[in-house]
Amino acid sequence: MKILLVQPAPYENGRIGLETALWMSEPAALTALAAMVEGEHEVRIVDMRVEPADVLPRVLAEYRPHVLGVTAMTTDAYQAQAVALCAKSILGDAVFTILGGHHPTLMPGDHDQPYIDAVCIGEGEETFQEVVAHLAAGRARDEMAGIAGLRIRVGQEVRTTPARSQARELDSFPAPARHLVAHYAHEYFFAAANGIASIQTSRGCAFDCNFCAIWEFYERKVRFLSARAIVDRMEAATERFIMFLDDNFLTHRQRLEELVDEIERRGVRKYWMIQGRTDFIVKNADLMQRLRDAGLMMVLSGYESNEDDTLAALQKDNSKANNLEAAHILRELGILSMGIFMVHPDWEERQFDQLYETINQMRITMPMVVIHMPLPGTQAWREHGDELLTRDARFFDLLHAVTPTRLTRRRFYEKYAEWNGATMKSTRGSLTPAFLLKRPALMLRLALGYRKLEKKSKKLRRAIGDPENFLRDEYEIVGRDLETPTPAELVA
Amino acid sequence: MTDTNLAVLELEPKPPRGQDQTWLRELEHEVESHPGPNHLLLCRLATTPFSKRDYLTFGLQHHALVGFFTRYMELLLLRAPSSAEKLWLAKVLVNEYGEGSDGLDHTTLYRDFLREAGSRDGMEDRAELCPAVWGFVLEHLRICREEPFLVGLGALGPGHEWSIPRMFSHIIPGLRRAGFSEQGILYFTLHTEQDVDHGDWMTEVLAEMVETEDQQAQVRRGALLSLEARHRFFSGVEREIVAWRQPVSRSSEPSPGTLVDLRRVIASTRGAAS
Repeated sequence: MKILLVQPAPYENGRIGLETALWMSEPAALTALAAMVEGEHEVRIVDMRVEPADVLPRVLAEYRPHVLGVTAMTTDAYQAQAVALCAKSILGDAVFTILGGHHPTLMPGDHDQPYIDAVCIGEGEETFQEVVAHLAAGRARDEMAGIAGLRIRVGQEVRTTPARSQARELDSFPAPARHLVAHYAHEYFFAAANGIASIQTSRGCAFDCNFCAIWEFYERKVRFLSARAIVDRMEAATERFIMFLDDNFLTHRQRLEELVDEIERRGVRKYWMIQGRTDFIVKNADLMQRLRDAGLMMVLSGYESNEDDTLAALQKDNSKANNLEAAHILRELGILSMGIFMVHPDWEERQFDQLYETINQMRITMPMVVIHMPLPGTQAWREHGDELLTRDARFFDLLHAVTPTRLTRRRFYEKYAEWNGATMKSTRGSLTPAFLLKRPALMLRLALGYRKLEKKSKKLRRAIGDPENFLRDEYEIVGRDLETPTPAELVA
Repeated sequence: MTDTNLAVLELEPKPPRGQDQTWLRELEHEVESHPGPNHLLLCRLATTPFSKRDYLTFGLQHHALVGFFTRYMELLLLRAPSSAEKLWLAKVLVNEYGEGSDGLDHTTLYRDFLREAGSRDGMEDRAELCPAVWGFVLEHLRICREEPFLVGLGALGPGHEWSIPRMFSHIIPGLRRAGFSEQGILYFTLHTEQDVDHGDWMTEVLAEMVETEDQQAQVRRGALLSLEARHRFFSGVEREIVAWRQPVSRSSEPSPGTLVDLRRVIASTRGAAS
């Protein structure tokens, strides 16, 4: 059978966002799926984030796949649906369309559309493999009840099969079919690191922050790839830079020690980036030094807030003191830091200013400020879903206030849009000559990609620094006069 | 003209000449799977809750195409080699002038749509058009004036009449979701019906008059030229929709001008040609 896997464009084609300017990883979910079926079937991957819009219909018409698989996060949910519709429009029922990923798993009902034959709920590899085998055997589409983890359309009816178990050892999955995206390799980047490989070494998270759905997606379980398998994949990657895609890489000290041992034993020399919590960094400063020596160059952490009360309300199970200390440790070790912070729709002006001031004190290399929102599938969604001003999936990108604001919408976005300029001091305070000289070879390599980064981020800064952009996005979507005081203001 | 009794223009159904019509089916398939009528923007209009304001941006660009279709047909009509082609073109042309639409020509219907989307005070004439809109119109005028007749027929027949019902079937659900009235979207719903008829008439004409492989190639060439221009058009419109909300994403390619400017350029070209 011929299988086409598609990574949709985020939000909308041509829009400037984080993925066009700051970070674009290879479609690791699709290469993982491809590896499950590639031996017996022909598989192609199209990454619509980097392809011109006409490529998809041309590939559909020429390749004529029997199965189309599309992955979707929340913000690209409509794009994913458009891909499936395009396939049905061109190929009719000759193609079986299946959507999977984060949003389809957490909000499967959003995808009950006549042009979507099935939704894969939860981890996709085994489900997808079984669906393909079922279709390849010539069995009827309406006889998939025995395949776990599916929401299938049978005529006008939608049926959900039993849940797919998420217990399989990660080492038992085949290595992702990265060669299928090799022709895009130069397109994937993180900041000034151009040409990055992406490897996922664990799934799930042991924490239960109420604004995050990762732990819910993976049913509160965490599974790890062995050190040997991780280094196998690091060695197989031709890229010099690697992004470990784990939602929380910094967990389980023993596994990380084994990983460092394995990297050292095999003499792998790559630069790599991770996501991890600040409390782990503080408790394991010695290990952080070993990780750095093994190639760790950047840690992305959810600092979230400058107030302990807010961290507690978010169920973050962390503290402002840890955030400050972790930023200090990373700086001392010569590890670049990226910190995510949240502003809240119910904030007053002074709270924005206080946050920006705290960020500058932390001297984080790349601070990023997003807007707190109840994301689909999270505890916050269940508790505050009735406060939503819109359910338009595009606006769950952490850059829009989807709940009412205490300030007027205009003033809220004016304060929010200040963040990039207001936190420049943090970046400058981080990238001091002393810091740069800690790792001259790495900094020199990154300097080569700096011009490209600067060109891209210039446009991003203009986009996120202009409150009018956010207000135009809200035109009709939020459905209110932007100058009208909020209910909170009227009460005040 | 719109009140004309068209009975005299009815085409008598004729049996196919017995030649192999595989090429017609292949062409139909090629049109149906071409990126033009399957542009991702169209699919996104069907799946995404765009606002009326987004549709205003869409419409201000698309509107420029609407008024020119009759001009293309008039140009082609003048060059039709025989009465069969003249009849087909005249029949479609009269439809486009408003027959079957309560006498409302398509430009009027489109302005109703634009008004419901929020257009005021001749905004449609003053809107800066993206280069792809100018490109689409000028390319079709060129095809109808300069290319062999069958290339023009391919552009207006398979290139338009076969593809428009497919394109509009994606747009209509999005318009309804955005809250447009049925009267407001009559231009679109009408075309999903009328153009099916036009397409069927076209199939008859092509089956009747295209006999050689060279003629088939000319029709195909016209269809593909039109569809490629269509694809570029939708890509341009998509950029406009993004750019009205996020101006910094606008490409550096400047607008060549408004619809009034475009008409002026076309009029001056016509004058120079004569």
